[in-house]
Amino acid sequence: MNKQLENAVLDSPTPSKKWREMSHDDRKTFLNDILKQRSDFYENFEVAHAKDDGQVIVKMMRALNPSERGTLLLDLEELFKLEIDQGINLWAEALGDKNSLRNLRGIEVKHD
Amino acid sequence: MTNAVETKEGALILDSHKLSCHYDRVQAWEAGERIAPVSVDMSLTRACGAMCSFCYAMMQESQSRSSIKVQDALNLADDFAEIGIRSVSLVSDGESTLSKAYVPFIQHLSSLGIDVANATNAWEWEAEKVDQILPHMTWIRFTVAAGRPESYAKIMYKGPEHTEVFDRAIKNIKYAVDLKKKLGLKVTLGIQMVLMPELKDEIIPFAKLGVDLGVDYAVIKHCSDDESGSLGIDYSQYEPLYDLLTQAEAMSNDQTKVIVKWNKIKDGDKPSYKRFYGPQFLLQISGSGLVAPSGMFFNARYSKLHIGNFTEERFKDIWKSERYWRAMNYLASPNFDAQTMMGTLPIQHYISTALDNHAKGIQRINPNEGKNPLHHNFL
Repeated sequence: MNKQLENAVLDSPTPSKKWREMSHDDRKTFLNDILKQRSDFYENFEVAHAKDDGQVIVKMMRALNPSERGTLLLDLEELFKLEIDQGINLWAEALGDKNSLRNLRGIEVKHD
Repeated sequence: MTNAVETKEGALILDSHKLSCHYDRVQAWEAGERIAPVSVDMSLTRACGAMCSFCYAMMQESQSRSSIKVQDALNLADDFAEIGIRSVSLVSDGESTLSKAYVPFIQHLSSLGIDVANATNAWEWEAEKVDQILPHMTWIRFTVAAGRPESYAKIMYKGPEHTEVFDRAIKNIKYAVDLKKKLGLKVTLGIQMVLMPELKDEIIPFAKLGVDLGVDYAVIKHCSDDESGSLGIDYSQYEPLYDLLTQAEAMSNDQTKVIVKWNKIKDGDKPSYKRFYGPQFLLQISGSGLVAPSGMFFNARYSKLHIGNFTEERFKDIWKSERYWRAMNYLASPNFDAQTMMGTLPIQHYISTALDNHAKGIQRINPNEGKNPLHHNFL
């Protein structure tokens, strides 16, 4: 039996009161300190936003192959969940369309 | 089969799913096996000469693009055959007809017994190309944003004065309709309008154009948006259009069926499922070569779900990797909530709803015991 099927009815974890009550800067500092402790893997990563709803946006200072970045980011999210708060969800910075013709439409990818 | 429209050539399902035709994969998934996708939706390039106002590709920029060479595409087809993929649709995030790999890839997939389909604006789809690919295709869907030339040019190109793009598309679509008849091909030809609520005046002209062209269907669907609402779609504004959409459907005749994707339009911007099981059955690949579970995750924002690039390593190795299964398992875990963490109504929406209902015991998926519908390998 596939255990995934049991997940269908489960709720996703949400951030704790402690996380929600911390200031944005404190949350960022907290997370960036962990990145520094793991600088062997994450020296080119920086937390750009750490919102009270658990959404954490990291900036990658160096382009990584898709075969590397997925694993690194999922590992990092696991680490943040384990060490800080189960309600954290990690995302990278969004990129806008590089197609110059489509860009004439003026649509911007929102970051929130 | 649910929501099938009877056509001269068989039952056509555009507003539901065909998982019942792939019950072996459903059973294997339920048993916890690592299944091959039934279908892959992909593009051979991120490039496109159009600038459609509804284009989701604007939200799908990953970190870097790779150029897909002919040999990459041929290797990909071989890998698809080896692992058991049954169909490939060239839709995704670019205009595949612009790629040098377009013709050889289609021909090779067909020779391997994999069903092939394509969505295109048909602007660069001249007779020479059509002659080479049409006999190999299961379906082709033309993006036709509106039935009137000026509106079409305004929505899909630089402005209403550029009706030459409409003329070129219609000429090429007519050529394909005629060639299908001449050669007695089984390919299904359809046109599709992506309906943004403000385009309501285009609904009836679009249906009329479909009937006039003599294509097999003219389908009207919702417009997807990302979870941040970058395209600004107001899903509450679809309901006032229901009467017009019903009128459009009534224009169907024996040759051309006007079809509205009611389920997606009515489902709006919030799915019933939290876990996203669909990508295990219907995988998407970007025209950048990026393999990610769904087009919803092509943007760099979702880098944690980026698995690999098939121009850098063989697809069969990506599929076998722990990376692939980690991303799929993540989407099926409580860490992912499809209601808040991705855009609206992905290509895997119908199958994800069905798999979720199956998992919850609300409605079990059963094997298809009747005749397969048209395009049964496309979920």
